[in-house]
Amino acid sequence: MGLQVRLQKKVKGFALDIEWQISNELAVLFGFSGAGKSMTLQLIAGLIKPDKGQVSLDDIVYFDSSIGTNIPPQERPFGYVFQDLALFPHMTVLQNILYGAANLPNNEKLNRAHEMIRAFKLTGLEDRYSHEISGGQKQRVAFARALIRQPRMLLLDEPFSALDRPLRLEMRRFLREVRDNFSIPALLVTHDFEEAVAISDKIIVYEHGKIAQIDSPEKVKGNPANIYVSQLVACDDCEGIYEIAQQANPADAEKLRR
Amino acid sequence: MKKLGRLCLVSAFLCLVVPLLAFAGSTKDITVSAAISLKNAFEEIGRLYESRYGTKCVFNFGASGDLMKQIAGGAPVDVFASAAQKDMDELGRQGLIVTATRADFAANSVVLIVPAGAKTSLKSFEGLSAVEIKKIAIGNPKTVPAGRYAEEVFSSYQILPFIKTKFIYTENVRQVLDYVARGEVDAGVVYATDAATRSKEIKILSTAPEASHKPVVYPIAVVKETKSEADAKAFISLVLSQDGKKILQKHGFKFNK
Amino acid sequence: MEGSVLFSLRLSLQVASVSTALIMLTGIPLAYVLARRDFRGKELLDVLCTLPLVLPPTVTGYYLIVLFGRNGFIGRLIYAWTGWSIMFTWYAAVLASYIVALPLMIKTTRAALESVDKNLIKASYTLGHSDFETALKVILPLAKRGIVAGTVLSFARAMGEFGATLMLAGNLPGRTDTMPIAIYSLAGGGEWSKAHFMVVLMTAMSGVFLYIANKYTKRII
Repeated sequence: MGLQVRLQKKVKGFALDIEWQISNELAVLFGFSGAGKSMTLQLIAGLIKPDKGQVSLDDIVYFDSSIGTNIPPQERPFGYVFQDLALFPHMTVLQNILYGAANLPNNEKLNRAHEMIRAFKLTGLEDRYSHEISGGQKQRVAFARALIRQPRMLLLDEPFSALDRPLRLEMRRFLREVRDNFSIPALLVTHDFEEAVAISDKIIVYEHGKIAQIDSPEKVKGNPANIYVSQLVACDDCEGIYEIAQQANPADAEKLRR
Repeated sequence: MKKLGRLCLVSAFLCLVVPLLAFAGSTKDITVSAAISLKNAFEEIGRLYESRYGTKCVFNFGASGDLMKQIAGGAPVDVFASAAQKDMDELGRQGLIVTATRADFAANSVVLIVPAGAKTSLKSFEGLSAVEIKKIAIGNPKTVPAGRYAEEVFSSYQILPFIKTKFIYTENVRQVLDYVARGEVDAGVVYATDAATRSKEIKILSTAPEASHKPVVYPIAVVKETKSEADAKAFISLVLSQDGKKILQKHGFKFNK
Repeated sequence: MEGSVLFSLRLSLQVASVSTALIMLTGIPLAYVLARRDFRGKELLDVLCTLPLVLPPTVTGYYLIVLFGRNGFIGRLIYAWTGWSIMFTWYAAVLASYIVALPLMIKTTRAALESVDKNLIKASYTLGHSDFETALKVILPLAKRGIVAGTVLSFARAMGEFGATLMLAGNLPGRTDTMPIAIYSLAGGGEWSKAHFMVVLMTAMSGVFLYIANKYTKRII
């Protein structure tokens, strides 16, 4: 049960080659940007086609290169929340949520949408457009829209990265709550180790398209698999350090990265 | 989105309905493709033709070269009247005109013009080589017959090499007329009939002697694919008749014996 | 207003409306395919659709005669089948305007479609919507301003179309003399005052269309 993936994908100057599985839990994909985290999510959702591999959820195969199976993204049961949330700017809050209910019978759509609006504390904002609501409200609309079609798994591509710290902490609690209420596997991409530790049941560490370590947050923190992971874990703001290093001396930065 | 849909609907409606409003072409009429410099004269002849024969005469005025291409492409034309032998010759070569009906029906002369208010000592073609004359507009000899005639005239006066750098080439005769009328150039060379249409804005200084250039003659002929050859021939006869000549003369055309 | 001026004005509006309608019906799907699909010969198709924008209109007109004239490749078949030829009819003016104005629609619409945020399209897919639904409910509405601007530009271009129309539709007073052709004809006959009136009328109308188009394009950029 749960999600099983084995994926290979080559693009210009980058090769992804990973294999892992998660059960009904909240897992975090962790690593520097450019490590292949977002690409993995898109490969799972069917937005990009892998060169080789397999994607299955609860023993249903959605992609298998060996037998030529490739279910289109529309028919895969994943709820996807994008980094920029991808709310439709020409639709109101209610219309955005309703747009996610395409697979529900017509007479249920509106009721379900209002249920979601209540559950996600969006009452009163139904007719607002996305540029007329706050950052936290946008997050909740994006979650409501992804969840209304009752997906069997959540894919979250750094949805909190643009938020300020207090709101980010609040959204982490919110995500944990949503995950546990809906009781479906969730995969969160982040490059913030603190977030990964705070929220996850399991951490998958990526290093340049490969897996560096898969463990519980405690083990990743206390017992890093190699020097790369320990560097990642050691600093609070690795991304920042990497960027500073790269500006000063690109060769050193590459060493840091490897 | 709704608005866009409505726009599409209106468009579809227009597509379906507007063609129904189209006017049906009348059954009995002839189409005459004629050089645009013939417009005023031919419209008058056309009215005479309609009153005399009861057949409607539809004109298609344009540059002779374009009219030739239309006929070669299969345009439904009955009579072709060209400002240049070249285009008529081309259709003849392609076997698209009734050769027996071909005739030269009018001639034109080549004139030197200057802006109406110009204070210039220019008196004749020879004067063009003077230093004070900076710009001379003529049709592009490659495509405009009037430009070719202009160069022939300059050659006969033996001034062509000295004034070549002053030439402003245009893509049709009317453009020469316009440049001169607006005073953009010091002088220009056009047909006498063209000059007559803007007699207030320009001044004719000199008419080139007939011997100085190849004769400017207008050929006319019945187009092979016509469905009303008799009517087409009747039109040509009218153009060549005394009445036709009178009208052409009134508009500045001449006749070669 | 004199009858012939009124006729030309009406004919111009009629030709521009019909060709713009055809441009919308075919140009939007074409632009969509060019913006969103990858296939062999795609850029060739784009070049082919854009060519009338850069070719001298008389050259476009000449090609149209070679294709649609009674002796043309396509025109010959139509003539053999129906005994009818498009040349020197107002349909020819529609065809010429259509071909010359289509690139404006395709260019503007393609750019607008391509500027739609790719994540929104992906989001639509993950929410269970097909390509067609996504096009209809997300891509086209978000590219609306570009499409409207393209439509107005095409209409204005169709109103002003001269060279190709003169070749294919001819200059038949009372039949195919749209405003630009009537102006050419009046100037040719030395009837300057009438020509000037139509020139002012055309300029004013085109100015209004461009003003509308600008208002829309400004907002998409």
